Amino acid sequence: MGEVNCEGRTSREVNAEIKRQVRQGESPIVVRNPGARHNLGVAILQPVTVQIHGSVGYYCAGLIDGATVEVAGSAGWGLAESMLTGLVRVRGSAGNGAAAAIRGGTVVIQGDAAARLGISMKGGTVIVAGNCGYMAGFMAQKGTLVVCGDAGEAFGDSLYETVCYVGGKIASLGTDAVIEKPSSGESESLDALLAQRLDPDARRKLPRGADFKKIVAGRKLWNFDKREWKTWQEAL
Amino acid sequence: MCGIAGFFEQSRSVHDAPVGQVLLTMLQGLARRGPDSAGVALFGPGADHQVVLRIKLGGEGDCSARLAALRNFLDSDFTSRYQLASHGNAGRLVVSEVANVAALAAAVEALDKEIEVVSMGARLEIVKQVGSPANLDRAYGVSQMKGTHGIGHTRLSTESKVDLSHSQPFGSHQIGDLAIVHNGHITNYHQLRRRHEQCKVRFYTENDSEVVAIYLADQINKGLTLKEALHAMLRDLDGSFSCLVATASQFGFVKDPFALKPLLWTETASFVALANEEVAIRSALPGDYEVREAQAGEVRVWER
Repeated sequence: MGEVNCEGRTSREVNAEIKRQVRQGESPIVVRNPGARHNLGVAILQPVTVQIHGSVGYYCAGLIDGATVEVAGSAGWGLAESMLTGLVRVRGSAGNGAAAAIRGGTVVIQGDAAARLGISMKGGTVIVAGNCGYMAGFMAQKGTLVVCGDAGEAFGDSLYETVCYVGGKIASLGTDAVIEKPSSGESESLDALLAQRLDPDARRKLPRGADFKKIVAGRKLWNFDKREWKTWQEAL
Repeated sequence: MCGIAGFFEQSRSVHDAPVGQVLLTMLQGLARRGPDSAGVALFGPGADHQVVLRIKLGGEGDCSARLAALRNFLDSDFTSRYQLASHGNAGRLVVSEVANVAALAAAVEALDKEIEVVSMGARLEIVKQVGSPANLDRAYGVSQMKGTHGIGHTRLSTESKVDLSHSQPFGSHQIGDLAIVHNGHITNYHQLRRRHEQCKVRFYTENDSEVVAIYLADQINKGLTLKEALHAMLRDLDGSFSCLVATASQFGFVKDPFALKPLLWTETASFVALANEEVAIRSALPGDYEVREAQAGEVRVWER
C-alpha cells in the first residue's frame, strides 16, 4: 500500500508522487490531507486504486484510463472529466460539470451533483444518488446517466443516444428530451446497476428501478428540416 | 477569474470572531485567482451611536493637504466627537452622534474630488488595495480584525483599471453597512449604469461589479428585503455572477441562472463559509463538514 501526504506539497508534486508510487506497483495508494487541492489524480493510466481521504478541488481524476479513484469527501468542478475507463466514486457532493465528456468508465456520486452533470458524455455510466442541478446531460451522446433524486431545469437538452433515468422529480425537460416508460428488462438492469454501485443502505432509500423515469432524445434535432422551423427556433 | 470568500459567525453571543484572520487565510488560498488586488469588508463589533468611514485620501503621492482639509472640516463640525487615523492614502474616521451617515460621507467627499469614501456604516469597514492578501494584512492588520461576519475578494482585472477604487469589495454610498463581492461579468452593465445615473447616482469606477452594490442598495431603498433584492437581481442583471452580500445583520449569496461561476458553501452550527474554491474554505477552517456547490439561480441569506 502506498501513501501520499499532501501537506506542504503542490498538486503537481502530489501527482508526481502518486505516479511514482504507481510505477512501483503500489495499490491502493492512500492520499491524505488533500485540502481540496485541484487536479488531484489526473491522467492515471494504470488499473490502480487511489483513495483520497478528504475533499478535492477542480478536475479530480480527469483523463484517467483504468484507475479507480475514491474520494472520501466532496469534489469541485469537472470531476473525472474526459475519463476513458475506470471508476470514480465520491462520497459527498460534486460541483459543476461532473463526468463531462467521459468516454467510458463509471462515475458514482453519493451526494448531489451541481449544474451540467454528464454534459457531452460519449459513453460510460454516471450515477448520482442524490439530486442534480441545471442542464444535466446536455448534448450527451452515448452511455447511461442515472439520477436517483430530483433533476434540475433543462434536463437532457439536445440529447443524442445517451439514456437517462431520474428517480425523483424533474424541474423541467430540455429541448427534445422525452420521457418514456422503461421496459421491464431496462428497469431490472437499472436495479442491478444500482445494487452493484451503491451500498445497500443507500440503495434501500432510493426508488426501485421500475419507478424511474427514462429520458431519451425525441430525435427532433438530429436532422434539420425546415418544416420543423419552430422547434429549431426554440432550441437555438 | 476572481476569488471571493465570506465568513459568518452563527452564534449571536459572539461579537469578536476572528473574521479578519479567516478571510485573510481564505484569500491567500484564492490569491492565484486574482493577483491584482485584495480587499475585505468586515463587520466589527461596533459601538452605540457611532459610525465609521474608511476613506481613500487620494491616489499615489502626498495626501497631507487633503488630510488637513478633512481635519479642518471635522474640527469645525464635529469638534471632539471624532477620531481620525491615517496611513498613506487611507484614512479611518469614527464619529459619534451622526444623524445621517450618507450626508456625512457626501460632506467628506465634497472637500476634494480625490477623496472617496470607501465604506460607511455603524459596523462595516472595507479595506482594499492593489497587491496580494499578505500586503493587505501588512497595511491594515486584517488578521487582527474581529467581528461577526465579512466578505473578501482577490481580483483579476478583465475590464477596468487596477487601483484601490476599482478593487473589491464595493460598499454603497446610498445606504450604510452594505458590501458586495462579485466574481463574473455583468453584461448589461452599461444599460443599468445609465438607468441609475439618470436617477443621479454617482459611479466612482468603470468596474462592472460596482453596479451590483448600487443596484442592491436601490432595491433595498425601495423596500425590498435583502433576499428579495437578490431574487430581483436574477431577473435584472445579465451575465455571470457569483455574488456575496453582507449587511449589518445579514449575509448571503446569489448565483446566476447559468451557474457560470463557481461558488461553494458550507454551514455548521457555528459558522457559514462561502468561497469559489473549496480549498480556500478548508485552509481557513479545519474540521469535519460538507461543502456544496451552489445551484444555478440559487439565493441564500443568513441572519443574526
